[in-house]
Amino acid sequence: MATVEERVVAVTARVLQLDPGDIKPEHAFATDLGAESVQSIELVAMFEEEFGIEMDEDAALSVESVGKAVEFITEVCKEQGIEV
Amino acid sequence: MRLVLFDLPSQKRFHFDPLALSRPIWELRCGMTSLIEKMIDKIGAADVACFVPPYMAEVYSRQTSRPVNKPESLTGDDLLLVNARVRAAQFNVDPKGPSRINFDEDGECLFVRIAREDLGKLNTASIEGLIDSAKASLEVCNCEVPTWNYTWDLVLERPEQITRDFAAAGRGGIEGTVEEPSAIRGSKDEVYIGPDALVHPMVVIDATEGPVYIDEGVEVHPFTRIEGPAYIGKKTILFGTKCREGNSIGPVCRVGGEVEESIIHAHSNKYHDGFLGHAYVGEWVNLGALTTNSDLKNDYSDVTVVLDGKRPIDTGSRKVGSLIGDHVKTSIATLLNTGSYLGAMALVAGTGKPLPKFIPSFAWFLEGVVTKGFGKGKLYQTAKMAMGRRKLEWTEADEAMWDEIFKITAPARSEAVKKGRRMLAGR
Repeated sequence: MATVEERVVAVTARVLQLDPGDIKPEHAFATDLGAESVQSIELVAMFEEEFGIEMDEDAALSVESVGKAVEFITEVCKEQGIEV
Repeated sequence: MRLVLFDLPSQKRFHFDPLALSRPIWELRCGMTSLIEKMIDKIGAADVACFVPPYMAEVYSRQTSRPVNKPESLTGDDLLLVNARVRAAQFNVDPKGPSRINFDEDGECLFVRIAREDLGKLNTASIEGLIDSAKASLEVCNCEVPTWNYTWDLVLERPEQITRDFAAAGRGGIEGTVEEPSAIRGSKDEVYIGPDALVHPMVVIDATEGPVYIDEGVEVHPFTRIEGPAYIGKKTILFGTKCREGNSIGPVCRVGGEVEESIIHAHSNKYHDGFLGHAYVGEWVNLGALTTNSDLKNDYSDVTVVLDGKRPIDTGSRKVGSLIGDHVKTSIATLLNTGSYLGAMALVAGTGKPLPKFIPSFAWFLEGVVTKGFGKGKLYQTAKMAMGRRKLEWTEADEAMWDEIFKITAPARSEAVKKGRRMLAGR
């Protein structure tokens, strides 16, 4: 089974139309990966769909990097009883 | 005698969403005035009290001088309790007659007449208690009491209502300024231009099919054509507007493009080109340039509207436009399908295609799907900014009311957001 990081990278690559190999945990979605504001919203929606979770939009959109997203989603999965 | 208007949670209250999410149903408009003004005029009441859903009581009590949700309003005088949905024009109950109660076909109380001497045997601790105890002990009146059943009833009634309201207002003539060359077609008695109103040159006011009431402080820019019956509310500005018959606009609106048989509440803007027809628009709405709504289906069949995100309701009319809640913002070139519902606080980015007919309250419609967007906090920031520009304050009470509306509307929004995620995932 893919790790949380692998799944976050796969979703990010699909939404932002990037090569997964080019996405690193330290990359910021906006400044390094070029996510525009509408794509940030799409990323939140796709993470929710991928992991079957509901995220608070204010908290989710304050997450800036791929690595922080992995931590945030792992925590939300734990809170909502989703095994990852 | 005290007139007590009540607008309590019921199976039918949502029929007036999204407009009634943030106001009592009687603050909706038909013709030149609101439903409460019509009812007060009809009854001739000097003493009026109001009972509204608790979550909007504080905000509403700041907007009216009448007591709101005060149980003491239920004692000390003869009472006439009237449901918010009752049509004033056809309400012919003797306000001084014997104590009695009336229900609609679904058992919802429409009015209660209570003589002061009968109050002692009733529960006056709350409006609900009073109605329940009246139900148990008062004679039932089987008279027919016509009601407003949906928001579009108000839109469809409006042209004739403007004509009746114009006659009731008893005004005519020009108190403001009409700059030449402008033209008034039809009888000048059918036109009223209020004090400080300014009609620029090259404006046509056509009263051949109905009266035109331009309220004080209105500014009408060149190349505007206003067809009666029409009501243009105080301090509204029309920008070369093709103002077709049957509009009730303002106060303090900015309107351009083509507008027909629509109601627009205060502080809403539709500056630019684009068609709005048979629509009901709330407060603080901004419709982006070229936003256009359909109000007629190509096959001329009756328009359906979805009020709960699930079941379409047949309006029984071939012409129904959009229902647009307070604080809605649309982008340029937004295309609204026939009978669309844009929930309060929704933010809509057009896609070049007609939108889905139901956009939930607080939804961010982006990339062709309903999303959570940047959340309600950002929508509140925008609302604060819009109100601040007009020197009005977004209060803690406003925020508390909208927080409650956010909760009330969560189920429909949640379903739409999930559907949106599935659509995004499938692309």
